[in-house]
Amino acid sequence: MRIAVVRKVVVVALVVVAAASMAVLMAQAPPSGAKPLAQELTNTDAAIKAAAELAKREAATKDYAVPRTPWGDPDLRGVYLTATYTPLQRPAELANKPLYTEEEAVAAFKQAVESDAEVDPRTVHYDWKEYSMDAWQGGARPNLRTSLIVDPPDGRLPPTTPEAQKRREAAQAAAKQRNPAAGIQTFGNTYTRCVLGLGAIPLMRGGNPGADSAAAAAGVTAEVQIFQSPGFVTLVMQSNNDVRIIPVDGRPHLSTKVRHWFGDSRGRWDGNTLVVETTNFKDRRPAVNFQGATDGLVVVERFTRIAPNTVRYEYTMTDPATWTRPWSVDSEMPRVEPNLIYEFACHEQNYGVINVVRGTQIREREAIAAGRPIGGGGRGGGGGE
Amino acid sequence: MSKRSIGLLAVAGVVVAAALWFTVALPGQGSSPGVARTEDGKPNLNGIWQSFTTANWNIEAHSAEAGLRPELMGAYGAQPGGMSIIVDGDGTIPYKPEALAERDTNFKNRMTPKITNDPTRFDSGDPELQCFRPGVPRANYMPYPFQIFQDQNQILVVYEYKWSMRQIHVDPQMEAPVDSWMGWSNGKWEGDTLVVDVKGFNGYSWFDRAGNYATDMLHVVERWTPQGPNHLMYEATIEDPNVYTRPWKISFPMYRRLEPNVQLIEFNCVPFVERLLYDPLGLYFPPGTRPDEER
Repeated sequence: MRIAVVRKVVVVALVVVAAASMAVLMAQAPPSGAKPLAQELTNTDAAIKAAAELAKREAATKDYAVPRTPWGDPDLRGVYLTATYTPLQRPAELANKPLYTEEEAVAAFKQAVESDAEVDPRTVHYDWKEYSMDAWQGGARPNLRTSLIVDPPDGRLPPTTPEAQKRREAAQAAAKQRNPAAGIQTFGNTYTRCVLGLGAIPLMRGGNPGADSAAAAAGVTAEVQIFQSPGFVTLVMQSNNDVRIIPVDGRPHLSTKVRHWFGDSRGRWDGNTLVVETTNFKDRRPAVNFQGATDGLVVVERFTRIAPNTVRYEYTMTDPATWTRPWSVDSEMPRVEPNLIYEFACHEQNYGVINVVRGTQIREREAIAAGRPIGGGGRGGGGGE
Repeated sequence: MSKRSIGLLAVAGVVVAAALWFTVALPGQGSSPGVARTEDGKPNLNGIWQSFTTANWNIEAHSAEAGLRPELMGAYGAQPGGMSIIVDGDGTIPYKPEALAERDTNFKNRMTPKITNDPTRFDSGDPELQCFRPGVPRANYMPYPFQIFQDQNQILVVYEYKWSMRQIHVDPQMEAPVDSWMGWSNGKWEGDTLVVDVKGFNGYSWFDRAGNYATDMLHVVERWTPQGPNHLMYEATIEDPNVYTRPWKISFPMYRRLEPNVQLIEFNCVPFVERLLYDPLGLYFPPGTRPDEER
């Protein structure tokens, strides 16, 4: 009986997907005079080839003379892709191999792109590529690094402190107390609630498509516009239209009494590099900060334009209440077109959260009735913090 | 020193002073005195600004009134009185009769949001109450500061309320690719005035808590004119053939916030409205966890 129902659901879903694909395919047939979609948006082989060539060309840029804004600051202006197929942590099978050769990097990229482009028919969600939202369609490139983390040298997150382990256990215990636990706030996912987008700080978190829903969504609306004006650098995220305003005028940090979801950022120029220190994070409980950090987190980011279409993006995360030592990432953001960000009215049209929370409540009631354990916090697709 | 050389020196002095005066007073191509300028000679609008009107309660003239829940909110919930910011006609919006009736219905239902998983959710309740984007022109006279970031080809405006933002496209300009809450802004300089053409609205935003509204045919032309270093005049011509009998105009000053340490403080209101919006659906407090419920 149950199997029959599942089968019916799958068939219905497939019909819906097929209808949607037809609509997209028909929409892709360009009316006379319209520009057909670029090969790099529809064909993975063409995209891989173009990305590999661009990566090679940008890497060959030596001693790049960074252009200046009219008021004399290094010019970082533009829209950049924050999605990457490089995982945050180095996979076990690549231990002791911090760098790929160029050929290996392209092969790893090819594998990631092809797995990203593939859609599991059991996934009752979007095929992002039909909306040109896969990272390979958005300008992702091969990377010689096997992980974003470069310090610790093993490319892995440092061990968490005993305090952080206690926090995690307490959160899990608290989640078990709330039966059935699913409500908007205990739901714990700031992205599903439209409180925060997919990552305003740090900007690049690493992807490993297929590993989990957050990573699979890594390429979705993963653009940041670096907007410069005298004395300020402002980061405008496509995801949720999150905005980070960074004064670059030497003023001190805000009072520690003022806490921001994106923290309080202060920038300074170190040669051609924009160095941004961010503190004053908000306590996000019951949601979690990036990688389970506390509001005592300090993030130091470095932005350097190293080629016409590439900004090197490094960051160091320090939170003695969470990690036994700071850890650092070194990555690159490809510049993409056009140079604008569209409105992302997430909360206004958040129809989905109603059904997602209702569905979770039902699933939990069923689990209790069947004597199965129910899930803890952090449910719901799509990453977030 | 002869009288003649003194005379010559005096003349030279006047010439130098005049030259200096013009250099100081006219540093760019414009003529407004005391207006800071960018590298390309345009007025420099960079900074944190705020308007001080009561238009967010009602853009038409209005008395002070108690709020909707005086038993709970007392003076906190009350609205201040104020003048109309409409500067033509009799200071009221030239609604078509049926549109005026709709405005009154909006007002009656301003605190009755309707949360559904389809667009009928926008039929009832002030968008501000629900932490929706305020649209234009409302964003400019809400009681929150906003910051202008001015580059030559694009100007970014970030409003403290909801952290909502809009980009004003100077070069290249383009048509709205899709309708949106904040609309699509194209800007150009006419002398010292930044003229912004805003179209492509989705028709869901209101002008104030009094229910004044427009549809997706709304077209706003804003004029931002600096009057000196620390204030500018804002003017907007508003048209929408669906609901008004003619275009109409609002105007009010905006002031630069001068506190040396002023900065926008995040106002992410989504968590502030989740109980209002989702509790009636049983989604805020999971069943059995309401503080006032028997467990």
